[in-house]
Amino acid sequence: MNAVQPIQLLAPEGTLSENETYSPYIAALSDEDLRSLYRNMALERRLDAEATSLQRQGQLALWVPALGQEGAQVGTIAALKPSDMVFPTYREHAMALYRGITPEELITQFRAVAHAGWTPEKYNFHLYTVVLGAQTLHAAGWAMGIAQDLRTGSVPRGRQEDEIVLACLGDGASSQGDVHESMVFAGSYGLPVLYFIQNNHWAISVPTSTQSKAPLAARAGGYGFEGVRVDGNDVLGSYAVAAHMAEQIRSGQGPKLIESVTYRIGAHTTADDPTKYRSADEVERWKAQDPLDRYRTWLTAQETADEGFYQQVEEEAEDLAAELRRATLSIEAQPLEEVFDTVYAEPHRQIEAEKAWLKDYEAGFAEDGDKA
Amino acid sequence: MAETFNLPDVGEGLTEAEIVAWRVAVGDTVAVNDIVVEIETAKSLVELPVPFAGTVEELVVPEGETIEVGSPLIRIAAEGEAPAPQGSDESVEEETAEPHAEQKNQPEQKSQKGQRRSAEKRSQQKSAGKSVGEKTPDAGGDALVGSGPKADVAVRRPRVRHTEPDSVDVSDLGLPDPVLPIRDGGSGAAPDIADIVSKASPPVRALAKRLGVAVWELVGSGGNGKITRDDVERQAQEKQAQRSAGGAPARSLPVTASPRPPVPAEQGLLYEGPREEKIQVRGVRKATAANVSHMAANVPHVSVFKEVDVTRTMELREALKKDPSFEGLSVSPMLFAAKAIIWAARRNPQVNASWHDTHYTLKNYVNLGIAAATPRGLVVPVIHEAHTFNTRGLAAAITQLTVDARDGRTTPAEMQGGTISITNVGSLGLDGGTPILPPGQASIVALGRVQKKPWVVDGQIVPRDIMIIGGSFDHRLIDGEHAGRFISDVAAVLEQPGLLLD
Repeated sequence: MNAVQPIQLLAPEGTLSENETYSPYIAALSDEDLRSLYRNMALERRLDAEATSLQRQGQLALWVPALGQEGAQVGTIAALKPSDMVFPTYREHAMALYRGITPEELITQFRAVAHAGWTPEKYNFHLYTVVLGAQTLHAAGWAMGIAQDLRTGSVPRGRQEDEIVLACLGDGASSQGDVHESMVFAGSYGLPVLYFIQNNHWAISVPTSTQSKAPLAARAGGYGFEGVRVDGNDVLGSYAVAAHMAEQIRSGQGPKLIESVTYRIGAHTTADDPTKYRSADEVERWKAQDPLDRYRTWLTAQETADEGFYQQVEEEAEDLAAELRRATLSIEAQPLEEVFDTVYAEPHRQIEAEKAWLKDYEAGFAEDGDKA
Repeated sequence: MAETFNLPDVGEGLTEAEIVAWRVAVGDTVAVNDIVVEIETAKSLVELPVPFAGTVEELVVPEGETIEVGSPLIRIAAEGEAPAPQGSDESVEEETAEPHAEQKNQPEQKSQKGQRRSAEKRSQQKSAGKSVGEKTPDAGGDALVGSGPKADVAVRRPRVRHTEPDSVDVSDLGLPDPVLPIRDGGSGAAPDIADIVSKASPPVRALAKRLGVAVWELVGSGGNGKITRDDVERQAQEKQAQRSAGGAPARSLPVTASPRPPVPAEQGLLYEGPREEKIQVRGVRKATAANVSHMAANVPHVSVFKEVDVTRTMELREALKKDPSFEGLSVSPMLFAAKAIIWAARRNPQVNASWHDTHYTLKNYVNLGIAAATPRGLVVPVIHEAHTFNTRGLAAAITQLTVDARDGRTTPAEMQGGTISITNVGSLGLDGGTPILPPGQASIVALGRVQKKPWVVDGQIVPRDIMIIGGSFDHRLIDGEHAGRFISDVAAVLEQPGLLLD
């Protein structure tokens, strides 16, 4: 379909190649950092499996598997600073866990007991956005705020001057008008946004080849900024490319775009049956390029990690899964009144009126004499 | 202490699923998240992981059945004596959510645990606590909209919001005028959910449920036909009055301002229940309907009948019943008819066949289908290679098959591949019938009841055991001659079972 080969440092066989631009970023990582990349991918994979089971057991309204995309997500988030704001889609579980979001916070939305399970400011990680592509507009808006703060010299307390914004999207959302508008604004204002497209090859049942006749990375050129393709199943490549891009954005070079070429091994969501639109052969071909397998091969060969480490990660993953199950089964619905309290930053008369109405309405369920 | 895993909604808003294949059997040990069953929903084939660890105690639903979301699927007995470690989610949820309510109200409604939330649940529990010994009528309660238990799925609140924001003065806030839904009321027939939702607000429905009032029987006295608390309370008082009066409807008491009398008895209904009831077609009923429609519309049926003296068969039956080797087996007229059909099929190959438009296939073997009435409807399980069985073997096979069918354990495989079938309308007290052919078969034999009748034997009228046998045939390949000869042969064997000795 296209001639632009994705940047790849770590091949599926687990061999690392040299690259003048990107290898230095890998060389700067400590053994601890390298092990952490594996740990984060493995934790997400186990959590993903548990959540899928919980949905199949009727405990979750829906689950969106990220299976197969761990390398793309972990590599990229690890390249950012904790102070950088992330605008995820609804599949960035590895990124969410990396930022410290707990299983309980993560599962709240999928259990459908509240609109969201965490406060974005706490983790610099915005809420999962189900409206396709809308988060790219929020990201551009946030970045405009950053630019404004810098211009007026009034960076709010708790935020950093060198903050950049990660705008996540998928190959399907790349066809949305919202994304176009976001990129136009980011390009026009030279905003500090890193667009991160996880091209997992399937927008539910529509293949990327239908979405675009040119590589998605090439779209950036039309908006006046740089776009690169990276092998999303190569966690080291994903890290290095994101780190390189982030560095340039931080130095004031405006937006950048990464097309992370990966694959959704699981279903689009638990309400989807991928066997209806893609072949088992295709899935097998991609499984052979698994991000965890190749990285583990390399880590082991480098003697950066041993069986003891993998065993330890596995135990931690089991605990995480158990915690997810416990949290799912015990999680309480958000009191509906609280929904009103988070609409505006300050008290608002109409919202107060509606809140009072609801209270009265709820009281209508009580038996006579119950109100006292 | 067994845990039950109910069918979850694995998609978004699915209502039912078909059980495609069980991956475990009764007695198997399972761990949490082991795949136990494959189901097919309107959207996809899905493997379900079990939420409990233990031993499989029961597979509630046979393969091939379609069940509703929320229906029991499998029961798992916890290992040893320890209380179930996993999946006691309902009680966990309950305890954390409402410790006080739990303590206050011991006699709680178990079936509703964990299915409802917040205010509604609270009021339920309180209601149960108060009305102990008072006999809360629950008629119609389960049909309340939006409040019925659905599945193990995440709990839902009733989702209705068509009420005026009248509790707060918001006139100066510039809110849009509240829009009330206006719907034509149903004709008093089956309760239309949307109708009830629009006419009775959730608090009113909750009140009706507590008082055992069927909301859809009321005509609201409020604006736009809205059903009010008063309407519900009046109806409840009326019911109470009827009960004290010994059940006789108090005609003189108008229940509401409604022109339509809402008391069922006054309308001369046949039995307790709504005037018309909509029954969803699914499962066995759905399959039966599809099969008989197809066969009746596409296959020209012809039926023949013959009255037979089965006295000798009945004598033989008595003898076999006493034979110890037949102990525990059902020695019925069906057994002899089955033997007779196999014998007659050997002499009349045309009846044991299937039609395929350009050709038809003669079957040189008998897979005998036996129509059986089960609690879930009509099924026709098949005894494969029935011609290879001796009499005792056939008796055992029929006994097993009937028991399985009645217990709902017939597997889809056991219902496939029949070449010729038999239906015992005699067990219904009938003399005969014209059955519709099962798909892919050309003959079905109907057995009437055995009855003592006056019969002429050697010029004398004597009481004999008489039965009418008959059947339906695919007239495209079975002429009257074929059908006649075949039924006559079956009759000959029943008249003279000694023919089987050949």
